[in-house]
Amino acid sequence: MKVSNDDLIKLYGNMWLIRMFEQRAADLFAKGVLPGFIHLGVGQEAFMAGTHYSIKPGDSIGTSHREHGLLLLLGITPGALMAELYGKATGSNKGKGGSMHACLPEKGALGCNGILGSAQTIINGYGFAHKVRKTGNIAVTIFGDGAANRGDVHEGMNLASVMNLPVVFIIVDNGYGISMSSKNSSVVTDLSARAAGYGMPGVTADGNDVLAVIEATSEAFKRAREGGGPSVVEFKTYRHRGHFEGDPTPYRSKEELEMWMKKDPILRLEKILLDRNVINEKQMKDIKAEQLAIVDDAQKFAEVSPYPEGPEGYGDVFYKYEGRD
Amino acid sequence: MIGIIANPSSGKDIRRLVAQGTVFDNMEKVNIVQRILSVIYASGLRDIHMMPDAFHISERASLNLKRSLKIDVYVKLLDIKFSDDQNDSTQAAELLCKMGASCIITLGGDGTNRAVAKACGDVPLITISTGTNNVFPLMLEGTMAGMAAVVAERDRERQYLVINRRKRINIYKNSKFIDIALIDVAITKDMFIGARALYHPEALHELAVTVAKPDCLGMSAIAGSVYPVGENDPHGLYLEMGEGGELETWVPMAPGMMQLIRFKHYRKIKINERIVVKADEGMVALDGEREVPFTKNDNIEIELSPFGPNVVNIHKSLTAASRGGFFIEKDGQGLTKAESYSFYMNNNKEE
Repeated sequence: MKVSNDDLIKLYGNMWLIRMFEQRAADLFAKGVLPGFIHLGVGQEAFMAGTHYSIKPGDSIGTSHREHGLLLLLGITPGALMAELYGKATGSNKGKGGSMHACLPEKGALGCNGILGSAQTIINGYGFAHKVRKTGNIAVTIFGDGAANRGDVHEGMNLASVMNLPVVFIIVDNGYGISMSSKNSSVVTDLSARAAGYGMPGVTADGNDVLAVIEATSEAFKRAREGGGPSVVEFKTYRHRGHFEGDPTPYRSKEELEMWMKKDPILRLEKILLDRNVINEKQMKDIKAEQLAIVDDAQKFAEVSPYPEGPEGYGDVFYKYEGRD
Repeated sequence: MIGIIANPSSGKDIRRLVAQGTVFDNMEKVNIVQRILSVIYASGLRDIHMMPDAFHISERASLNLKRSLKIDVYVKLLDIKFSDDQNDSTQAAELLCKMGASCIITLGGDGTNRAVAKACGDVPLITISTGTNNVFPLMLEGTMAGMAAVVAERDRERQYLVINRRKRINIYKNSKFIDIALIDVAITKDMFIGARALYHPEALHELAVTVAKPDCLGMSAIAGSVYPVGENDPHGLYLEMGEGGELETWVPMAPGMMQLIRFKHYRKIKINERIVVKADEGMVALDGEREVPFTKNDNIEIELSPFGPNVVNIHKSLTAASRGGFFIEKDGQGLTKAESYSFYMNNNKEE
């Protein structure tokens, strides 16, 4: 597997952008500035940056509820995403999508279904469209270990396989579905094993190693693009924060969190960059500062942006057709 | 005492995507362990220790046996703190060795056995393959593994048990011993560990093997395609690959995947011979998995050692046991200890 030094540096910057954005969102939520609930992906940056690396323009990506980071990499600007979290009119979805439903379909970011584990049937429609239109693109659906146990996921995997669709099912096993340990909610430890039941390959890879993520996604995506059909790629990772901001996490131990903090995906990439003399510590600091400045600007943009006007609440509800404005 | 180490992580790597590798689910590992435990239970033996793991293979197997066969196999979990990586197998092997295990049954691939071999000392291994591209462990029915374990436990004088000492390769980085391989050490041009498994032959630079088999998959098969070397041969093989070579061979690199491999050169390696790796940077892959990155500042050496783990020859051991009457039921009356020596011995029961 080859990843150029320039790409390694980009991946490093992308991972810091996600980390900084999520940490800022955590701070703002704690201050009561952000409405609603937010679910943050601190600790899961490697799977987002690595998956994004393997995506091509025109692909359709269905994210889950913890993927602000992937939305940023797919093209929602940090300012537009932060404004969306604030519920501002300048948000990526005019403040009406919020954390969970922010999307940018023109860049392939399909957003998240309100019911986790339901998008895995819907994704087949995108896959089918790519297949019949011969776009050479693929559809990717991302879901967690909790959603993986829902019936729709199995229905979706079966249909994708029956129709040999260019769909890749990415399972992010971050240890917990809300507060339920994935070790207690499934009879298989590696959820990729489910693929065997639907006649497709399934692999499990280290979700905290961005290069392992790139290798697994690039092979799965290539297979789908070339007509090889669907597959399941599972990433083992861990969310450093709770299920939602404010979650006191009584269901997990301090030791477990500490063990995973040692496997921090950014620290692991930093070690590779230093060992390989790709960049030095000063350059690393500069990259970090650059991403911090982007997040500062995003926050400022969101703060000064207006809230939507009252009538906007009725906008985008119905499709326009003759006889109705 | 009989030890069991079942690795819950083997059997799901990237070769499912790039080749036609079979997914080896953990429920099947539980089934295999059930078959092993049933056989050991039938012999009257009760002293079984097993590595704990996050999937609870031991607990699930014991519970299933209670439910289905109504037997309580009394498996004890080893007192180790597991971290869900290969170090668990090493820790478990070390403890089983200290506790005086008569044998260790392993469920896993070459990687699992490598982790066990680092710390199992002279305790003989009974290996069951549950990984991919395996050369070291056997595709073995769990029932036979259980029978061989009973022979190992009862036959402390080694009348029946046939054990072979395997070779291994020691790896040194900047003159410091860092790791071992049981079958192969590949030096690749890969810069990253990534998804670990080796499947791009074009990345191969050098290869050293303890065993070169034409009838297996992966690295050992590359060497086996030009110069077969057996487990008991007093040498290994060293090969240089890549452009500039004149010889090309067809090799089964992964399940269902025949590929052309180009050689520059190959030669036998003697026991205790040390070779300095020629590549100036890249990755050392041990038994098919990228493990140790090295740069231009590092010096990597590999050494063929005769001190690999002891492995039970199942076929020969069970045949010898059968010839010695080990499987004939005896009531023990009027017989000497040696004569009453048998698969089932109620007086050995440790409730």
